[in-house]
Amino acid sequence: MQRRPFLLGCGCLAFAAAAGVHADEYDYQVPPRFSRPDPSSDEGGLWAFMDREEQRLKRSSFVIRDPALHDYVNRIACRLAGDHCPEMRVYLVRTPYFNASMAPNGMMQVWSGLLVRMQNEGQLAAVLGHEIGHYLQRHSVERLRDIKSRSSFAQIVGIALGVAGGGNLGALAQVGILAGGLAYGRDQEREADRIGIALMARNGYAPAEAGRVWGQLLEEYEGAKAAGEDVSTTNILFASHPPAEERREVLAAAAKRDWPGAERTGADEYRAALASHRMGFLYDEVRRRRFGESLVLFDRLLKASPRDGQVQYFKGEAYRLRGREGDTKLALEAYRAALEMDNTPPEVHRSLGTVLRQTGEDAEATRAFQRFLELKPDAEDAELIRSYLTGSQS
Amino acid sequence: MRLTPWLAAAALCTLAGCAQMVKVESGQVTIKDTLSVTTASAWNRFDLPQLNLSVAPGAAEIWTQDGVTLDALAFFVGVSQGETLGKAMPGSTKKLPQFRSAMTPGEIVELYEQMVTQDGSAFALKRVAPGRFGEQPGFRFEHTITRKSDSVLLKGVGQGAVVKGKLYLVVFTAPSIYYYERHLPQVEPLMASARIRAL
Repeated sequence: MQRRPFLLGCGCLAFAAAAGVHADEYDYQVPPRFSRPDPSSDEGGLWAFMDREEQRLKRSSFVIRDPALHDYVNRIACRLAGDHCPEMRVYLVRTPYFNASMAPNGMMQVWSGLLVRMQNEGQLAAVLGHEIGHYLQRHSVERLRDIKSRSSFAQIVGIALGVAGGGNLGALAQVGILAGGLAYGRDQEREADRIGIALMARNGYAPAEAGRVWGQLLEEYEGAKAAGEDVSTTNILFASHPPAEERREVLAAAAKRDWPGAERTGADEYRAALASHRMGFLYDEVRRRRFGESLVLFDRLLKASPRDGQVQYFKGEAYRLRGREGDTKLALEAYRAALEMDNTPPEVHRSLGTVLRQTGEDAEATRAFQRFLELKPDAEDAELIRSYLTGSQS
Repeated sequence: MRLTPWLAAAALCTLAGCAQMVKVESGQVTIKDTLSVTTASAWNRFDLPQLNLSVAPGAAEIWTQDGVTLDALAFFVGVSQGETLGKAMPGSTKKLPQFRSAMTPGEIVELYEQMVTQDGSAFALKRVAPGRFGEQPGFRFEHTITRKSDSVLLKGVGQGAVVKGKLYLVVFTAPSIYYYERHLPQVEPLMASARIRAL
């Protein structure tokens, strides 16, 4: 049976709805360092459970083992956590969904689907700060005691793991729904939110970015809805917690009012840190087949960086892979635009050739395939493409 | 908890002693009355398709030597225009793409990738090239899958063809350590023997 490391005591539903942030609540005092709880206590049991999950995670092939990127994220998390930094271990995980979590034993997970969605260091700091807020207030222990007072811990974990045993991402979404019972309460989310924004602002990050994270998620959700995609499993937060809009506004207003001086977003640093992974993250993103969400994400990234040929290429890929009526034309437009941009991957020529073959524009398809082979003569499909050329020329 | 009825059924089946594996004798074997292959050795047919093996959910047949988590030979037979390759895993939110008769082998490999990554596994294409599928011109691809459930690295090889608008595809996957190399010498001639009947 497969077990998932983020079922309990983690921010599975990172950023669950909370509203109402007020200036007088920001005077947050970070608690003193934590020590390992007594193993015979309930908290000790929770730590032991999380330690086992962490051992599994350490061995996972899905952990991104790039010291440079890890150090970058770790440094940000460490600054936010302050004195508690030595208690924390950060794991970057290749999973194309929006999530970060921090377990009570100090294991922090940051998923690639979150990294690719953040526009800058400030936004990442907002999410990490929120998770660190849960950790500092030991919300998972509160939650565990709350659950235990109502039901058997083993029973609840058993149910949760039973669902996760399906071993697929759909089940993962179900775990999210089930974890509604395990997830943090609204008041805890509200508290983590206050702490998160305070920690980021104290470190000089523009707190307005916290509200923008919400705004971005909402836009993606609306994008999926407008594209007629099933949004019931997109993000249950939006289905069950409408105050998302309100929260975005509240955070934005608070940021403006309380920290007019904190303005650093760190967009350039963030872009540079992610650069070598971006192709892979975008590849995974488009293969989620949540095209409505992905297209909103790509447009947002393009707005911030209008000559980004990488993102523009994946915009074309989203249309090509979706394959609805009219998408062929949109894909062609996107690929052709990418040709005029910077840092465009050579694969754009292959995709252009593939689509042009379908539309019967053989001469242009041939030119695109030839160009791809010039740029990537050793591509994994080079033989196949050479055979297309022979076929289309004969 | 959508899995529960199946797990219960599987458990009942085991308790009742009914077979989940059926022996496939050596010689010529025909799948779905359409695709025949010749095998020099005996195989086991995995007969509990409702468990939806993540490397081949919804395959017409799945054969194995050492057990489906160690090696799996999957047959996809006569996939028509508008149908998906394989089927959705229970609980998966991903809508699988549909096969089009005009798809290039590269696009067919993308269909396969979408099918096997439903559970969050990672796919990497190593090579795709023109090839033969029995007597038909077709294609061949090699790939790896990092299985989500246990991080095991699988190697795979697939051969297929689109014949009269329908897709025929045979894919073998096994852990890169030991099992892939062990069974590949049986798999290669089996794939080469593929014949599409009733054409």
